[in-house]
Amino acid sequence: MKADRLRRFIDLHAWLGMASGLALFVAFFAGALNVFHHELHHWQTPQATEAASQDAIDGQALLDRVTDQYPDARKRLFFLPEEDPAVMWFQSSDAGAGERGAGEWLTAHATDFDEAGKYVEKPRSALADFINQLHYQLAIPSGGLPINLGMTFMGLISILYGAALFTGLVVHWPKLRKEFFALKHEGNMRRYWKNMHNLIGVVSLPFHLIMSVTGAAMGAFTLVAVVLGTLVFGPQLRGVIEEETAVWPPVQSQGENAAMVPMADYLSAAADALPEMSVDWVEIRGYGDAAGWVDVAGSVPGYVGHHAHVVLDPAMGVLNVIAPGQRSLNFDSFSPVYSLHFGDYGGMLVKGLYFAMGLLGALLFVSGNVLWCERRSDRQGPSRGSAFLLRLTLGLCFGVVIGVACSFLVSKGLPYTPWAAWVATAERAVCGVVVVLLVLWSLRASPLRFSGLMLMVAPLCYLAVPLLQVVLEGGHALEADNLLINGLLLLVASSLWVVRRQFRKRVRLAEPHPLWVGKVTQGHPKHLTETEREAVS
Amino acid sequence: MRAFLAFLLSLPLSVMLMGLLAAAVPAPWQSWLVLQLLGVTLLWMLLVTLVALPERTWPPLVALLVMNGLAWGALQTTALYGGGA
Repeated sequence: MKADRLRRFIDLHAWLGMASGLALFVAFFAGALNVFHHELHHWQTPQATEAASQDAIDGQALLDRVTDQYPDARKRLFFLPEEDPAVMWFQSSDAGAGERGAGEWLTAHATDFDEAGKYVEKPRSALADFINQLHYQLAIPSGGLPINLGMTFMGLISILYGAALFTGLVVHWPKLRKEFFALKHEGNMRRYWKNMHNLIGVVSLPFHLIMSVTGAAMGAFTLVAVVLGTLVFGPQLRGVIEEETAVWPPVQSQGENAAMVPMADYLSAAADALPEMSVDWVEIRGYGDAAGWVDVAGSVPGYVGHHAHVVLDPAMGVLNVIAPGQRSLNFDSFSPVYSLHFGDYGGMLVKGLYFAMGLLGALLFVSGNVLWCERRSDRQGPSRGSAFLLRLTLGLCFGVVIGVACSFLVSKGLPYTPWAAWVATAERAVCGVVVVLLVLWSLRASPLRFSGLMLMVAPLCYLAVPLLQVVLEGGHALEADNLLINGLLLLVASSLWVVRRQFRKRVRLAEPHPLWVGKVTQGHPKHLTETEREAVS
Repeated sequence: MRAFLAFLLSLPLSVMLMGLLAAAVPAPWQSWLVLQLLGVTLLWMLLVTLVALPERTWPPLVALLVMNGLAWGALQTTALYGGGA
């Protein structure tokens, strides 16, 4: 490839990476933890609540109480048949919600009822949901708009990310084999960091291709659907999407009542219809209505697109079965998009790989941004822009890493204080405050000193979380899901410690780039990057 | 500015190209909507790259605009809008 063309590819790759890098860092770091979303839900439950769940009502009694007390729940509800069963429903604003929040999704657990059978809202940690929102919408609230702003933004970022991958592939493909074995510093630590960026990019390319396409498809779905409807298919598209993605048409009530059978019977009817399915949740539309239906949803192991549904009528008659080999092309295409993105198709091994790839991805984006700032400063001379972007990158990345650790600490510690009622709010607030403070600090401090300090604090924060749980809950910290999450947090702490060691090595062996000490002067030499020099020669 | 325009104009073109493909494929467009969605995202990424790559700014943007017009014109000859397969 000609040198000038290669250089344009490099420039475009760097620019696209820079434009999307910070948002992708947040999404990947939170996403790595979110791979274990289910386990995190168990981890966030305090020991006292788990003990109370042993005396709680069973799932059927929970379902009966919620549908009796909340008419809105009869229209549409989700039942989660877990150890501490839960029911979720949408409380519309005109249904006399009373003290409960109107116009939002509500969740009731089996432990949330007093002796008189009255629902009593208990404060619960919402850490897993916060991490999930941080992953897919950067925790940006939609403010009641019909479109999810944060999710659409991440969809657009994924498009840039995909374009950056195309250009990165063109740049690195011819020397793929060479770059595979290029991780050595030979006294040149800047080159080491660049090689590390390339190596991570090359090794995890298939993972990143999957993430960019599935992330863009899910994030930008609403936007693409609107444009597709406006330009190509017309207003009919909305109805077609609903028809093609629904497991069964919406309830057309004739006002005729039907007796609901116990939940265990619905689950057993679904098991008869699809014996290999393991149940994840149950959706009920039109509870007690003869036109209503029950969707028992779950997974069929052994498939990438493992999602399955058995739709039953109130009398347990099978209305529809959607499973691998028995579903439309649309369901066949959609199911792998979800599972490839969330990594829930291959057990703990695949989840562990996704976790590692997520952390490496975060390192890829932060190293890409740092390299871009240094390279821009080298080629164009000193600039406030490069210095600002380097500081912003460091402030935001360390802010998110330390902010998330603080959310974990609040989630575990606050339920044991008089402020337990504020736990869900405090988890979000503390992360936001830490991010803002560290960004402001990074803009004022020397990047070198700031990074050195943050790389010492961040691993200690992640080390403190399992320790806090051991102190507060003793052996509870070693139970299955808790042990897994605590182990992951220790892995994050060790990874950060390794980055700290490499960072200190770089400082020790190589003279820091002037950007890092805030001394970019006109005398600073301009030079071509490694790739550009190779292309020229 | 150039990247923003490339990003903006590439979306309708990728959507319309996918629409033309839907008109050409002898299968009901409703039956492979999800694949069309995935195709649109891939095309969008590719178009952003192609338009942002050349050294000169305006020729690729003008070409993108012209392609949008041509694709829109071609779509009017199909029965997709508000119609069946």
